[in-house]
Amino acid sequence: MKRRDFLKTGLAGSAAFAVSGLTMFTPKIASAATVNITLRAEGTSKTLIDGTSVFVWQFRDTSGNSGPGALTSGLLVREGDTVNVTVQNRVDRSIRFVINGVTMSTTSSVSAGSNRTYSFTAPAAGSYMYTDNRNGELGRAMGLAGPMVVMPANGANRLYDNGPAFDRQYTMFMSELDDRLNAAVQGGGSYNMANYEPNYYFANGLSYPDTTADSDTLIAMNVGEDVAVRFINGGAITYPMHFHGYHVNVATRNRSVETRVIEKDTVQVERNECVDVILPVEQAGAYPLHTHYVPGVSANGTYANGGLIIMNAA
Amino acid sequence: MFNKFQEIYTMSMHRGGGGGGGTTTPPPTTGGGRTFSFIAAPTSLSTSMNGSITMADGASISTWYFSNGGGFNGDRTVPSPVIEANQGSNVAVTLNVSMMSSPHTIHFHGLDVNQQNDGVPATSFEVNGGSSYTYRFTAPHAGTYMYHCHVDTNQHFEMGMFGTVIIRPSDGSTNRIWNNGPTFDKEYIWQLTTFDSSWHSGGGGGMGGMGGGGGGTGPQFARYRPDYFMINGRDGTNARTDSTTAITAGAGQRVLVRVQGTSNMPGIVNMGGLPFEVVASDGRPLAQSYTTTELLCCAGERYDIILTMPSSGQYTGGITYRDIRNSGNLGSVSTTITVA
Repeated sequence: MKRRDFLKTGLAGSAAFAVSGLTMFTPKIASAATVNITLRAEGTSKTLIDGTSVFVWQFRDTSGNSGPGALTSGLLVREGDTVNVTVQNRVDRSIRFVINGVTMSTTSSVSAGSNRTYSFTAPAAGSYMYTDNRNGELGRAMGLAGPMVVMPANGANRLYDNGPAFDRQYTMFMSELDDRLNAAVQGGGSYNMANYEPNYYFANGLSYPDTTADSDTLIAMNVGEDVAVRFINGGAITYPMHFHGYHVNVATRNRSVETRVIEKDTVQVERNECVDVILPVEQAGAYPLHTHYVPGVSANGTYANGGLIIMNAA
Repeated sequence: MFNKFQEIYTMSMHRGGGGGGGTTTPPPTTGGGRTFSFIAAPTSLSTSMNGSITMADGASISTWYFSNGGGFNGDRTVPSPVIEANQGSNVAVTLNVSMMSSPHTIHFHGLDVNQQNDGVPATSFEVNGGSSYTYRFTAPHAGTYMYHCHVDTNQHFEMGMFGTVIIRPSDGSTNRIWNNGPTFDKEYIWQLTTFDSSWHSGGGGGMGGMGGGGGGTGPQFARYRPDYFMINGRDGTNARTDSTTAITAGAGQRVLVRVQGTSNMPGIVNMGGLPFEVVASDGRPLAQSYTTTELLCCAGERYDIILTMPSSGQYTGGITYRDIRNSGNLGSVSTTITVA
C-alpha cells in the first residue's frame, strides 16, 4: 500500500468512510517497522487561491506520496518504528532537519546540494512537526516543515497510550507566507524576519474554498462520534483556532497532557506547538473552524479565503 | 459564490432553530455587582455604520456597531451592548439591518448554536439592508460568550461589531458565575480591543460597506498594524478612569473580571502584580482553577478571573498587546485598581 493511501485512510478518511461512520483507522504498519523516506528540500512555484504564483520551499517525498491536503510530504509512523529520513538539500543554503521532542542520530546541517540521513526511533505517540532550524523561522516561513503523526505501538485509535480514543482523526497543518519574503529569497536576497507580516494563510497547504474540496481537510463526521483534530503550527505566527458549533476537549500540548484549561471553543496554538483535541460531535450541520486572527481567514486581505476549514456533521 | 454548503444549509434549516423546552425568563435587572449596563434577551439589535469614538489623543475613529439605544454601557459605540440570558432559556435576538446598509449577521461565538443561527454567510445567510432575522438558540452553560458580525469579518470585526453575551445561572443569580459555582461581589467586563486606524479611514457606512479606503474586503486589509490599544473601547488616560475598566472594590471583596479577546492580537492581562484566580474559559469551568499574575488571552478566547482585593492601596493593571508574529509588545493600556 502506498503511503499516500495510508494517509488517506489513516489521517483523514475517504468519502466512503466519512458517510459510513465506521471506525476507520486501521493500522497498516507491522510493529517495529523500518520506515525509509527521502525528503527533497527544494524551491518550487505555488499557485495561490487568488491565482498569483509565489516561490516557496517544500519538503517533497521523492517516492511521490504526499502528506495531508496539498502538503508534499507527511510522516505517519508507529511508536518504536525505526525511521530513516534522507534529506536531499536543493535549496540555496544549509538546512538542519529537526523534530522537536525527538533525538536524532545527528544534529549536523546538510549543505546546499548535499544529502544527509537523519535517523531516529519513533517516540511516544502524538503529533510532531519536522522542520529546518538552521535558518531561524525563515525555513518555516518559506515552507520547510511538515507533520509527523506517531500512533501508539498497539495500533489503538488513541492519541497516546491509554489516552483519549477517537473514531476518526484529522491533521491540520497551519501555515502562512509573506509574499515579500518569498520574493526576496527567490531573488537571492536576505530578509529580516522582524519584518515578517504574512498575507496568505493555509490549512494543509490549501486555502478556502479549496479546503472544502480536499478529503484530508474537509472534516466529515457523524453525530455521536469523537473526532481527533491535530493542530500542527507549521508557521511563524500564533493560531487561535475557533470552532463554530462545538466545544472541544484539549488533550495535549506538545505531547504534554493538558490538565487545567480543557473545554474550549477557541484553542491557542503557539508557534512550534502541536495541540491535539477531541471534538465530541453533538449536533449536525456545517460549521467553520478558523483562526480568530481574522486576517488569517483572507488571501492578501480578500475574505473569506485563508486557512478556513469546514466541519460537516451528518 | 459557494454552493456545497448552501445545499447542506437548505437541508438542515428546516430542522428548526434553537430552543427546546426552555423558558424565556430574563435575568434580574437589579442586584449583583455589575459595572456595566446590559440588555436582557429576548431583545433586538439594530446596526449602525455611522459611529465614531474619540481616542485619548483626540483622534476620532469611525466605527460600526450593534445598538439597542446605544452601544456598550449606553455611552460608547465600541464594544456593542452586553446581552444577558439565563442558562436553559430560549434566547431570541432580532437583528434589524438598516436600510441602505451593507449586509450583516450575528455570530453567537461559543454558544454552539445550530447552523441556521450561526450567522456565517458561507454556511447560512446574511441579512440584507432593510431586512430582519431573529436568531434563536437555547442558552447553554452559564459563562462568558461573544457575539459579532461574520460578514467580511476582517473589516466588520475590526470596525467594532462585537459584544459580550453573559449567560447567568439557571436561577438568574448575579452573584455566582455558574450553578453552584464561585461567588463574586462585583463584576467587570474587560474586552480587549485594538484599532488599526488605517482600516477605519474612509469611514462612513452606506451601501457597499465603504471603509478602510475601499470595499469590505481586499488588499487594504492584508496586513494588520494596530495603533490604538484599549479596554472596552477606552485607551490612554480615558481607560485609567473609565467606570467600566477601573476596578474599585472593598478589601477582601471578590471581583469577577470577564476577559474577552476581541482584538485580532493576543493580550496579556495583569492586575498590577496582584494574584488572581482563573476559574473558567470559553463558557466552561476549568478542570483545575489556578492562580497567576499574568494571563494570555488570544482572539476569540474568554477567561473568567477572580481578583480578591487586598487590604488597601491602589494598583495599575491592564493589557499588554502581543504581536502574533514575534511575541513582541505592540502597545498597552492600563487602568487603576483601587481598594475602596
